[in-house]
Amino acid sequence: MLNTIIQVKNVSKVFKIPHEKRDTLKEMFVGLFKKRKYETFYALRDINLEINQGDFFGIIGPNGSGKSTLLKIISGILRPDRGKVVVNGSIAPFLELGVGFQPDLSARDNVYLYGAILGLTRQQINRKFKEIIDFAELGRFVDQKVKNFSSGMQVRLAFSTAIQAEADILILDEVLAVGDFSFQEKCRNFFREFKKQGKTAIYVSHQLKTITDFCDRAVLLSNGMVQMSGNSVEVVNKYIRDQVAGKNSNE
Amino acid sequence: MLDNQKNRYLNLVKELAISDFKLRYQGSLLGYLWSFIKPLLLFGILYLVFSVFLRFQIEHYNLYLLLGIILWTYVVDGTNGAINDLLAKSGFISRVTFPRTIIIISSTLTNFFTLILNLLVFSIFFIVSDVPFSPLIFLFILFLVELYLVVLGVGYLLSALNIKFRDLSHIWTILLQLGFWATPIVYTLNMVPVKYHFWIFLNPVARIIQYSRQVVINNTLPDLKGILGSVLLTIAIYVVGYLVYKKREPYFAEDI
Repeated sequence: MLNTIIQVKNVSKVFKIPHEKRDTLKEMFVGLFKKRKYETFYALRDINLEINQGDFFGIIGPNGSGKSTLLKIISGILRPDRGKVVVNGSIAPFLELGVGFQPDLSARDNVYLYGAILGLTRQQINRKFKEIIDFAELGRFVDQKVKNFSSGMQVRLAFSTAIQAEADILILDEVLAVGDFSFQEKCRNFFREFKKQGKTAIYVSHQLKTITDFCDRAVLLSNGMVQMSGNSVEVVNKYIRDQVAGKNSNE
Repeated sequence: MLDNQKNRYLNLVKELAISDFKLRYQGSLLGYLWSFIKPLLLFGILYLVFSVFLRFQIEHYNLYLLLGIILWTYVVDGTNGAINDLLAKSGFISRVTFPRTIIIISSTLTNFFTLILNLLVFSIFFIVSDVPFSPLIFLFILFLVELYLVVLGVGYLLSALNIKFRDLSHIWTILLQLGFWATPIVYTLNMVPVKYHFWIFLNPVARIIQYSRQVVINNTLPDLKGILGSVLLTIAIYVVGYLVYKKREPYFAEDI
């Protein structure tokens, strides 16, 4: 019996891109009587998806195809212009290579702050703190400011904190992109463990190998539309064919 | 479940306050002491100018002035803090979902905590003076709650609108500067011709400061109609600020 845990129904998202920026009062005042011209950009167009409990669901597509926008709408960070998203569970989002750490705080302080945002109390983090730091391999740097960390270190710290939140659904956007080899191995082990426990994850990556390794189902987005959804291997193959064909037709 | 949610948000308010606190005073030698030094220095120079040079003949002028400055400092720091802290959390806003109101609540509470500590400094001046302690002082708690709600409401309003119109923070700085002189802080209300009282009291903070001084220093009960009016105005400001914030909240992640 498959339970639908996330349902995306006819979701569209439009970004209005003004031809002239009008962010200051002077510009507003000057432009008050001029009709403002917008270029509308469909980031997502009529997306329908169903993700079942226990799915490891992949999203692939070229840059600018709407992957991140879709993740943000599922996470509830952006509001869709049309359609709706029904989520039956709590979500721990991990978006855009990080979680918005405060650069001037130490790794330790950031873990507590980010943990609180994910719903963990100080006591809970105290118990898990060593595990978080060990997983991120940042033992020596725990009291250093995060702004001095490399991007790989930041992602490691963010990821190891995010997985401590006991959420029903984990949203992962390019976790493996900047981590080094040993960290990627750790993540893979974590994914395997996570899958075994029957938890749900949505995973965006350009590393197609990890998509076919871990995801049962996947969706291919292009220009904000679903090109294909289904078995992850078939979807990845279609994506590769499209990319190669696109390259050839451009030449 | 609902209780769980509440605890979670209380915990988040606490953690945000702790991190704001660390960020604000990190790397500075005197650290938190600055929150006392700033109002006290302002008090020192204004006292020198108005009491010594211009020879204001007001009994307990030092207490009037200090209390006014401390309360006004909270208005300045609380509202500016709300504007800045919302922008400073842009990383979280565009990546994680949680009720955005928590950012403003935690920011204004951190500054409120400083206000309380500043009031402890005031109480030293108060005890040293010969002003008797009156039971009316308990009304002061009401005015402090009012002040908090005004700052919270204005903080909601300005921080939400400032995301889209960044001029607002500059305009607000100017308005606060004008407000300092348009509010009975340096002077007392008695020195102002009655025909201007209406204009002065359009500013909700003016009533709060005036009444606070009356109950704490003068030991007189402010007129009850005035108190009621000020409570209603406070609630109105809070509600408007909250509603505007809630209306803009879904678009923060896009606009920030």
